[in-house]
Amino acid sequence: MTDDVVSFLSDGDRSLHILFGSQSGNSEDLAVKFGKRAKSYGLESTVHDMDGFDIASLASMSRVLVICSTWGEGEQPDNAEELWNAANGDGAPSLSNTHFSVCALGDTSYELFCESGKEWDKRFEELGGTRLVDRVDCDVDYDAPSAIWTESVLAHMAAVDGNGTFQPELVESIIAEMEGSGESSVEGDDGFVIPVLESPEIQVKVRVFRYDPQSDERGHDEWACVLNGNISVLEVLRSIKSTEDGSLTFRDGSLHDPTTVICANGRPILPGITRIDSVISSNSDSNFLNLEPIVIGEVIRDLVTDLTISDIRRASTKPWFRGATRDGAKVRDAVIGTMSSDDAKKVHMVRDMISTVLVDSFSDTVPYNEAYISPSNVLSSWSRIIDPRVSKTSLTENLDLLSSDVGIKAETDLSSISRHGEMGETVADYMLDAKTRVLRNGAFQDGRHGKYVWWYTWSVKMSGKVNDTTIYRQVLGPLGLVGNLFSGVTARMVLGFTRTGGKMFNGLLGMVAPPAGVGKMPKQFNTPVLNHHEVVAIFNEVDGGF
Amino acid sequence: MPMNYAYHPGNVAHSSAQEVDDTVFPAAKTLGINLIPLEGATSCGAGIIRQANRRLQLTLNARTFAMAEELGLEIVTPCATTAGTLFEDLTTLRSNPNLLAEVNNVLMETCGKTFTGETEVRHLLHVIVEEVGLDKLSASVKNPIGFSVAGHYGPNIQRKGACGNDDVFQPNYLERVINALGGNPVSLSYRTQSVGVPSLLSEESTALKQAAAVLSEAKNEGAEMLVSICTLSHAVLDVYQVKAGKISGENTSLPVIHFTEMLAFSMGHFNTRLAQLKTRVSVIGN
Ligand SMILES: Cc1cc2nc3c(=O)[nH]c(=O)nc-3n(C[C@H](O)[C@H](O)[C@H](O)COP(=O)(O)O)c2cc1C
Repeated sequence: MTDDVVSFLSDGDRSLHILFGSQSGNSEDLAVKFGKRAKSYGLESTVHDMDGFDIASLASMSRVLVICSTWGEGEQPDNAEELWNAANGDGAPSLSNTHFSVCALGDTSYELFCESGKEWDKRFEELGGTRLVDRVDCDVDYDAPSAIWTESVLAHMAAVDGNGTFQPELVESIIAEMEGSGESSVEGDDGFVIPVLESPEIQVKVRVFRYDPQSDERGHDEWACVLNGNISVLEVLRSIKSTEDGSLTFRDGSLHDPTTVICANGRPILPGITRIDSVISSNSDSNFLNLEPIVIGEVIRDLVTDLTISDIRRASTKPWFRGATRDGAKVRDAVIGTMSSDDAKKVHMVRDMISTVLVDSFSDTVPYNEAYISPSNVLSSWSRIIDPRVSKTSLTENLDLLSSDVGIKAETDLSSISRHGEMGETVADYMLDAKTRVLRNGAFQDGRHGKYVWWYTWSVKMSGKVNDTTIYRQVLGPLGLVGNLFSGVTARMVLGFTRTGGKMFNGLLGMVAPPAGVGKMPKQFNTPVLNHHEVVAIFNEVDGGF
Repeated sequence: MPMNYAYHPGNVAHSSAQEVDDTVFPAAKTLGINLIPLEGATSCGAGIIRQANRRLQLTLNARTFAMAEELGLEIVTPCATTAGTLFEDLTTLRSNPNLLAEVNNVLMETCGKTFTGETEVRHLLHVIVEEVGLDKLSASVKNPIGFSVAGHYGPNIQRKGACGNDDVFQPNYLERVINALGGNPVSLSYRTQSVGVPSLLSEESTALKQAAAVLSEAKNEGAEMLVSICTLSHAVLDVYQVKAGKISGENTSLPVIHFTEMLAFSMGHFNTRLAQLKTRVSVIGN
């Protein structure tokens, strides 16, 4: 750094005050992280919980950042409520000496997006504060936008001199100094800068799907490249576009931009955060990177697909949250309990991980059923159901949505989701919870879904083995069986039409006879497994319902 | 020295997929694999029982693991759904000591068994590629397959840890086996896609569209036959293919056999069945 900037950055009062309003810790984490980052700008940061913070002390602070989330239905988080009331009360100080900026955390699926942050922003201005950098409103993927905001806001705050006067002409040179210093903003959770690791260069054959809507031509282009293994797929695309083929079309955006999802070597990824060496197949001798559009929506050009269908899916779920305080007073006691931190964590885990397009492209069902609301919306709905603060109306609405034909039941195979790493596992896990809840709600006898699960499980209790004929008969009923008779299914089963001479399907009788009385299993089929009584004992112990 | 494994037949080898039961033993024997049936093992739940009650499926499978541990053997199965489901449940129990202890309590009370989590679950495909070796496999071939064959893996075992050293998203073990058996492998982009088995009867239309995508891709790519490594997907791709064609409007007519049939036929077991298969391939395979 040049000496004058260094001395400027270390002269006089260098304090920065970061206030957080946070229910489940996101804003608090960010406040701590930004506080550590502030050191690089020569600022001495103090992080304050809004709870217990004295409003009067604001007057003497020349640099203040507010990081605040929104809860309930556009409400302040619990720890911010008192300070908010104080800021709106008679004792609120004048902030004529205060430079401020606000980072608002929220979720666009709520009606009142980032409402609390907006309120703080407005109130600071009303009290006479000077806004140095415009407020940033962050959706659930808040890392990237908040990080960009931090770098800008810290450069501006650093340009407030030791006497509390903002020196706008210095902002540029501070930014230039920071960039020149090579201090990247990549920081670990604990605020330590992660060193950039060099990985060896590798030869990669990059193959990209191309589609030209004018000529309606489709095909693939290939480039042989020498690349550093740690660069991201997005960087590869950008460099092909800038050096090889300017017409190559893909969605570009911030690192976590959910709309940038593409398929790399058979798996959906966010290209900005996926290193090429993490997707190169372990099978092939040569390194091969095959890039295709995702299977959701029609391809518009090259790697870009039409995501309107995702918007339609989302809109169809009326996803905004109805807090229990909807009709009631805004008094704290009127809220149906605040969340325990465990519940809050769960709700957050469900909501925060969602890059909706990415999660939806895990599912093998989504491309085949347009009406299905998709995994991300199932999760949204489920997070409301498990939220203890949800209103009765919202609970019923969300349960109805999940139980409907387009809800969780439409997902045909959770294993297509759970195989996508940790995120896939967590998503599938919650979806399984949702499915069980919905099935249990309908007492298992409500339609084919419940019956399928019920009779499958029941037949395993009866012999330890699956009894296909019982399941077919009980789930499909006489009409379904007749339908299968005409569509060739039964014929193929019974006659072994394409079979290679194996015995005829055992269930001939079971397939064509009308379903027997509930609870009766055709005896001729399963011989029970060895020590079948153990199986029955397990059922009786774990789930007496069967 | 034969390789010994505890054998789990999968879910429907005793009923709607008896051809798997018929062919797996002679094929394994030819390769020096000794399959010791887990006579008491239950259905793995196929991702269906857990929809009713997770703990129930876990406990039933824990009982199966305990039986394999009593034998001191790893579990092998010709069904991808079973391999995947058992793998998931084994991983869940291993990674959660409290859960393991609770499940063990129930096992002790109900069956007098406990298990430690030491067993392993593998699909026969992985045992063949990684333990037997493709050279030995080639050497056992009496009737080279001789036509174009597409392979279908499905999603269940295509996850980290469950597919041996094969690639999760771009596997090639099955294609390599087809090649070793004298067939011409056709690699499908839909080879790991689900065909909707856990919802076949309840979401039939979607599941059959999923199945149709696999079958029609195989046909379009010039495959004369499809081979499946899952007893359940096999049934959907075969038994339901006419209906899948009707629902999707795609051409889905293609002979479908299970992996163990392909092994057995190429090794000279069931020659009459192979003859039938060849007839079918020449009639509807292209
Ligand atoms: C029950 C609940 C209610 C929420 N209400 C809103 C809301 O009305 N508006 C909004 O923009 N975000 C809303 N959010 C999203 C949160 O503000 C967002 O998840 C934020 O990252 C939480 O940050 P925190 O951990 O600091 O509290 C809500 C989240 C939950 C779980």
